[in-house]
Amino acid sequence: MESVWQRLRSDGYGMLGFYIIAVFALAALLVWSGLLGQSWAVVSGGRWESISSTHWFGTNLLGQDILQRTLFSSATAFEVGLSVTILSTLLGTVLGALAGWFRSSWLDELILWVKGVLDSIPFYLFAAAIAFALQGNRWAMHLAMVITFWTTTARIIRGEVIRLKQREFVEAARAIGLPPRTIIFRHVLPNTSHIVLVQATIVFVAAIKTEVILSFLGLGIQNGVSWGLMLAESSQEVLAGHFGNFAAASIALFLLLVGFNLLADSLQDAMDKRRSVS
Amino acid sequence: MNTAVLEVRDLNLSIDSSNGPHQLLDGVSFSINAGETTGLVGESGCGKSMTALAILGVLPATGMTIRSAGIMLNGEDLTALNHAQRRRVLGQDISMVFQQPATALDPVFTLGQQIAATVHRHGISGRKACRQTMLESLELVGFSQPEKIAAAYPHELSGGMRQLSMIAMATVCKPAVLIADEPTTALDVSTQLMILQQLKRLQTEYKTAILLISHDLNIIRQCCHTVLVMYCGRLLESTDPESLFSHPRHPYSAGLLGCIPKLSATRPPPINAIAGQVPALTDLPPGCHFAPRCDRAIAQCRHTAPEPESDNGRTVACFRPMP
Amino acid sequence: MTSQRTHPAHPLLELRNLSISFRDRRQIAVDRVSFSVLKGQTLGLVGASGAGKSSVARAILRLVQADGGEILFKGEDIHRMKSQQLMAARQRIQIVFQEPSRSLSPKRTVAESLLEPLQHFAIGSPTERSRKVKKILLTVGLDHDVLHHYPHQFSTGQKQRIAIARALVTKPDLVIADEAVSSLDVSVQAQILQLIQTLQAEYGIAFLFISHDLAVIRQIADGVAVMYRGQLLEQAPADTFFSQPAHPYSRLLLSLASLDEPSPVLNHQQQLNPDGITNHRPSACVYSAGCAEVMPVCGQSEPARIEIKYKNQNMRGSHCVRCHLYDETNINET
Repeated sequence: MESVWQRLRSDGYGMLGFYIIAVFALAALLVWSGLLGQSWAVVSGGRWESISSTHWFGTNLLGQDILQRTLFSSATAFEVGLSVTILSTLLGTVLGALAGWFRSSWLDELILWVKGVLDSIPFYLFAAAIAFALQGNRWAMHLAMVITFWTTTARIIRGEVIRLKQREFVEAARAIGLPPRTIIFRHVLPNTSHIVLVQATIVFVAAIKTEVILSFLGLGIQNGVSWGLMLAESSQEVLAGHFGNFAAASIALFLLLVGFNLLADSLQDAMDKRRSVS
Repeated sequence: MNTAVLEVRDLNLSIDSSNGPHQLLDGVSFSINAGETTGLVGESGCGKSMTALAILGVLPATGMTIRSAGIMLNGEDLTALNHAQRRRVLGQDISMVFQQPATALDPVFTLGQQIAATVHRHGISGRKACRQTMLESLELVGFSQPEKIAAAYPHELSGGMRQLSMIAMATVCKPAVLIADEPTTALDVSTQLMILQQLKRLQTEYKTAILLISHDLNIIRQCCHTVLVMYCGRLLESTDPESLFSHPRHPYSAGLLGCIPKLSATRPPPINAIAGQVPALTDLPPGCHFAPRCDRAIAQCRHTAPEPESDNGRTVACFRPMP
Repeated sequence: MTSQRTHPAHPLLELRNLSISFRDRRQIAVDRVSFSVLKGQTLGLVGASGAGKSSVARAILRLVQADGGEILFKGEDIHRMKSQQLMAARQRIQIVFQEPSRSLSPKRTVAESLLEPLQHFAIGSPTERSRKVKKILLTVGLDHDVLHHYPHQFSTGQKQRIAIARALVTKPDLVIADEAVSSLDVSVQAQILQLIQTLQAEYGIAFLFISHDLAVIRQIADGVAVMYRGQLLEQAPADTFFSQPAHPYSRLLLSLASLDEPSPVLNHQQQLNPDGITNHRPSACVYSAGCAEVMPVCGQSEPARIEIKYKNQNMRGSHCVRCHLYDETNINET
């Protein structure tokens, strides 16, 4: 029996996506461990210098190196992506599982009501409100995303749990009197892992994109740099004929998103095949 | 004078894999006469459904190859047809009823629309004529209010009614051959009987030849003129049901018969099961595939496959058939 | 072995007027069903799909709530038990389901699935548990090198053996087999039936054997109970049932299943409405619409449960029927 990983390895596009993500992840790791991109704020050259051996991507308005800023931004993207994905997936999985297991109870009604309320608030308005309420706290953006992103995961997990609760192996566990907590964590949730994984990659992509947009709008990253901030800077530069910031940020973002989409697609295929066999 | 409507000659089906091709069907030959039913029995995974799909030329997986000396439908070789010709034949001259009517029907169309689409594709034009034929087909399988059934969506019907509608759809073009793959397996006993009675009625009316695939030997006994016993892609015995049930000659047939629970006034003795299980098609034993599970097997059985031998209208492939 | 011994006069499991409904009581799934299972005996519960057989099974396991009536296990009502009593009862009642591929958790190994009940009921030390698991695997005919395999690595028949092993590992007194052989091939079905009969002879386990296949019931059951649209129409010892079925519905089922008689021709009303539970009128016999021997009284009042008396009463167990063809004064000549 082939594992999901073996199937993934035989899929060329999926592996391409995987390698693209790996390169960005490596850059992020090196930034975090202090080996790369540390001089993103240092003014190391003149204003708007073009591509040279010292400044591979040129410099910006203040004379900061664009390559350094791009590299540092990939760490920002991963930080936001990982934290939002992990927290919102945990929240969504647990709340979705509870709602599905105790279907039609007050708990289910409550979770669905909260989900409905959150889904109906325009996201950027919500993010702005949170940023305002938290007075420029650097986690405001993360919080806004976690609060709104769990709902989709919860909806999917709820449906899956309702389906699995009818399964005989779950009934067998209930018949010997196992408590719901044990059944949910031992018998139900492990069988949703394929869905959780695919949904997590989708949330990851959404988080990175949202971070860029929020930063562009000035609601995102405060102390640091991100592709969104670089794009915001570039809005004036492009008119003056300087494309360094714009090209670097948008190409990096584009590559990372393509990588994730390729991986998510082939991950879904690999999981589907596994499911149809079992 | 009986004429063979469908004649399958030396049908072979193999699938490629990383360690060479595997034989799914091995030299399957049989024929069905007009108005007769041939039953195909065997355990799951023995190639019964594969036989049906190979006859129709629709293969479920890539890497499968069919070889045969001809699949003759009314004298026309199905294997020689091109794609377009085959599509004309399927559904019109030869059609199929599946085990799961719930998944074989499209949930977003009414039954009437689905049957009418089949009618339309096979040459009856005009809305009125289409609808007329469609309603007739529903009435033929025993619905007293065909209009009501035609307007219903699949989920509004019970399992038995869905299967009857499937049969109506399969027989709407009055095919010469109908392949029914476990048509009653998922249904209650009384519904089963009803489906089989309707099949029989259609058969007497239109002289349809039916290939009935089932693992239920009781059904085979009640409905068939000939029974084919299949194991691991090979036909081991073919005969009429009465002689099969009274004197099975192949040890596998005897084993299968021993597995059927008996309905008697006194409590029957404990059942006699065949030991072991069907080998995987990727790992078939050499010689006679049944030899490892057979208590009559001799050394010869383990390295040479016995050829089918005919005697008195009865074919058995065994070196040591039952007396 | 079991420390608690039931009094021989008391049945192991007794249902008294059990009723179950769904959708806020709008759909009655089980309607005043009473029957009993004796220690070490097999009761076959027969009926078409939708007759309420599985709901009965699920109520015994407390997977669904009962609306009324009692389910007595060793004389105690399962639905009124305190948690400790219930825990003890659950150890003694186990279930085997129809679909082997759905009854084992795909992400858990055989060992994990089989150890779980033992851990839950805190039976034995860890070494004893793994010894028990290996022993039970041998009993159901599997080697213990399969312990670390996952369900998808097994054939259907093997999966059903594992499911049976899981049911037997706590040494239950009662096993509910809910269509446990219905989805299997005849050959595999025969193997599983053989296994169940051996296990029963060896361990003295009582079975509530739910099936729609009368031939399977004949093979395995000591008593037969027939359900139709949520009601129990007849209960009898197997030999009585198969030689002298009393209810017209039982007779129809028997004639459908028997090979030697020509099949009766049925009308649509009799077959194509097996699951229309909702439109039942309480003032009539549930089977009156499909019955071949229907009388005017059948549409007007519901028949009571009658025990049929026999002249030479030497049969084990009583023969009860709900049908207007019988009344208290009827004495069968045989």
